[in-house]
Amino acid sequence: MDGNFRIVIAGGGRVGNRVAHILDDRGHDVTVIEQDPDRAEALSDDYVATVIEGDATRPGVLEQADLERADVVAALTSLTGTNLAVCLLVRELAPDTQTVVRTEREPGEEFDRFVDEVIFPERAGARAAVNAIEPDVSALEDVTGTLDILEVHVAEGAPVAGRSLEEVSLPHGSLVVSDAAGDTLAGPETVLHPGESYLVAVEPSVVDEVLNLFRG
Amino acid sequence: MSAGDRAPAAELGLLDATMIGMGAMIGAGIFVLTGLAADIAGPAAILVFMFNGVVTAFTGLSYAELAASIPKSGGGYAFVRETFDDLPSFLMGWMLWFAYMIAGGLYALGFAPNFLELLHVYGLTAAPGEVGAVAVPVVPVSIPASVGLALAAVGLLVTVNAVSTAASGSAETLFTAVKVAILVVFVAFGFLSAGGGGETSFTFQQFDPLFPEGTSAFSILPAMGLTFIAFEGYDLITTVTEEVENPRENIPRAIFYSLGATVVVYALVVVVAIGTLGAEGLAAAGEAGIAEAATSFMPTGLPIIRNGGALIVFGAVFSTLTALNAVVIASSRVAFSMGREGQLLPRIGRIHHRYGTPFLAILLSAVVMLGSVVLPTESAGNVSSLFFLLSFVVVNAAVIKLRRERPDMRRPYEMPYYPIPAVLGIALNLLLTGVLVVYLVRTDPLALALSVGWILAGALAYYALRARGEGSTPERRGASDAEPSGADAPTDTSNAEGGVD
Repeated sequence: MDGNFRIVIAGGGRVGNRVAHILDDRGHDVTVIEQDPDRAEALSDDYVATVIEGDATRPGVLEQADLERADVVAALTSLTGTNLAVCLLVRELAPDTQTVVRTEREPGEEFDRFVDEVIFPERAGARAAVNAIEPDVSALEDVTGTLDILEVHVAEGAPVAGRSLEEVSLPHGSLVVSDAAGDTLAGPETVLHPGESYLVAVEPSVVDEVLNLFRG
Repeated sequence: MSAGDRAPAAELGLLDATMIGMGAMIGAGIFVLTGLAADIAGPAAILVFMFNGVVTAFTGLSYAELAASIPKSGGGYAFVRETFDDLPSFLMGWMLWFAYMIAGGLYALGFAPNFLELLHVYGLTAAPGEVGAVAVPVVPVSIPASVGLALAAVGLLVTVNAVSTAASGSAETLFTAVKVAILVVFVAFGFLSAGGGGETSFTFQQFDPLFPEGTSAFSILPAMGLTFIAFEGYDLITTVTEEVENPRENIPRAIFYSLGATVVVYALVVVVAIGTLGAEGLAAAGEAGIAEAATSFMPTGLPIIRNGGALIVFGAVFSTLTALNAVVIASSRVAFSMGREGQLLPRIGRIHHRYGTPFLAILLSAVVMLGSVVLPTESAGNVSSLFFLLSFVVVNAAVIKLRRERPDMRRPYEMPYYPIPAVLGIALNLLLTGVLVVYLVRTDPLALALSVGWILAGALAYYALRARGEGSTPERRGASDAEPSGADAPTDTSNAEGGVD
C-alpha cells in the first residue's frame, strides 16, 4: 500500500490526540471519534482531523467515520474493553479494514485472533522514564527535540526509487543518514533502491514532503 | 496549493486569507469580463456582478462549513471526495481541473490585449486593434500578436511553477493590495471626471435605459452565467486553509469579507466603466474595456507614468498575470490530488524527485491551457463558468449529504438557517447553468461541444483507469466494489434523531 492512508482513531485523549497530530504531519487523512465535548473541540481547533463527537462503540457513530474507505482503524481510548469492542465492530462492519488496539496491560497473544496489531503505550512511557533516570544512554525517540529519525521504506515506483542522492533534491530540513544495509553513512552516490529502507532525519515541517518522495 | 508546500505552519492571518480570496475573485475577471457582460446585458451589467455575488454567497456558506470541519487544503475537490462515491467525486475533480485550465487560457487571452494597450500607452506599438500578425521567425506561419503573447505568458508561468515551488501567501497579499489600490484610483478618477464635459466624462445618462431596447430584465441571466468564473475565488481560499491561523473562525470570515469587498469593488468599477465609456463602448473594447475606459479619462502628461491610464492598464496586465499564476497552481493541484487519490494515474500525484513540484500535473495542465489559448475569449469564459457553476452545485449538495450521513461530525462553523442556503445555492446555480446552456446552444455551440466532450472524455478515462487499476492500485481498497456509502445512510439518519451523546 502506498500513498496516504485514511485512518480512523477512536479516542482523542492523550494518546489519540498525539497520534492524530503525527499522522497529519505525515500527510494522512485522519478522522477522530471522541465522546468528550471539550476534547473534541480542542481537536477540531487544532485542525488536524475531522472530528466525530460520540461514542465509538455505537455502530451508528462508528459508521459515520466511513469505515469502508478507511485503511486502518486504531482504537486508542484508555479502556481496553472499549478498544476491543470498537475493533470487533470494525471487523463486522468493514472486514477489510486493518485494526489496531491499545491495551492497558502487557499484551500477550490473546488478542491476535481479533485484531491486526496490539500496542501498549506504557512500554514506551517506561522507556522514557528510564531515559530520564539514567541520562548516559538514551533510547532514540527521546534524544531528538522535534526532529524525527525515521526508517523509511522506498516504495516501488516512488519518485526517488532507483535514483542516487545526487539526482534527488530532498527538501531543506531532511537528511538521509544511512544506506540500505544501515552500516555506512549515506553520500551523494548512495542509491535509493526500491524495497529497501533508509534511516532519514527529518524536521517535522517537511515530513510529509519527504514521505511523498519515498512512497510515491 | 502545490504539493511542494511544506506541511504548513499556520502563518496566514485573517487579512492574508481575505486577501487571497479577493485576489482570486478580483483577479482578472473584472478586467477581462466587464466588456463581455456589457455586451450582453448593456448598462445592466452592473446588476450582473451584484447578483452573482448574492448567488455565490450561498455557496460561500457551504464552503465555510466544509472548510471548517474537514481539515484539508484541497478546495472543493477534497471536500467532495470526502463525501461522495468514486464517480461523482471524480467528475467533480475532472470538471474543476478543466475549469481552472480554461480560466488560465482566458486570463492569458485577457493579458495579451491589455499588454498591447500598455505598450501602446507608452507609444511603443500602434493601438491594439491595429497590431497585425507577427511573423514568427523559424516557423513559417504568422500568428496573431495577441495569441503569441498569451502563449508566451502561459509558457512562462508554467515553467516557473514547474521547476520551483510557488510564491507564498504573503506575496499574494501584496499583489492584491496593489490591484485593489489601482482599482480605487480608477474609481476615484472616474467619479471625478463627472461634469467635466468631456466625451467620456462620467454621467448617469449612460445607465438610461438600464436594459437595452428589445431586452427584458432576464437578459442579465446569461451574462451572470458567463461571468460567474469571477467567483472561483472561493475554491482558492479553501486551498490554503491549513496555513491559516485559527481556521474555524478565520476561514468563514475570510470568505465573507472577501466576497463583500469583491462585490463592492466590482460594482464601483463597473459603474465607472459604464458611466464613462457607455455600455456599447465597453462592449466594443472587449477584454481591454477597463483599460480603455481608464485611458480615456485619466489625466495625461504626468511624470514617469506619463499617462494616468497607464497605471490602470498596468493593473490589468498585473492582474491577469497574477490570476494566471494562481490558476496554473490551482489546476495542477486538482490534478495532483486526483492522482494521489488514485482517481487519475498515480504518477500525476507525485512530486518530481528533482524539482520538488507536482511536475507531471503541471505539465498536463499546461498542455490544455496552451491549447485553450486559441479559443475565443468568450468561449473560454463560457466553458469555465459552466464548470464552476456545476461544481458549486456539487459543493452545496456535499453539505447536505454530510449533514445527513454524519450528523455527529463536529462542525465548528455551521451555516445559519440550514438547509435553506444550501438548497438555494443548488437551485440558483442550476438555474444559471440552465440559462447558460440555452444561451450557448444559440450563440456558442463550440463552448458547449467542448464541455460535453470533456465530460465524455472524463467518463471514458474513469472507466479506463478503473479497468486498468483493478487489483493493482490498492489505495482505495473497498471503495470501488464495496456497497456504496448510501447503505449506511438510514442508520445514520435515525441516529441523528437521537441527538449527540
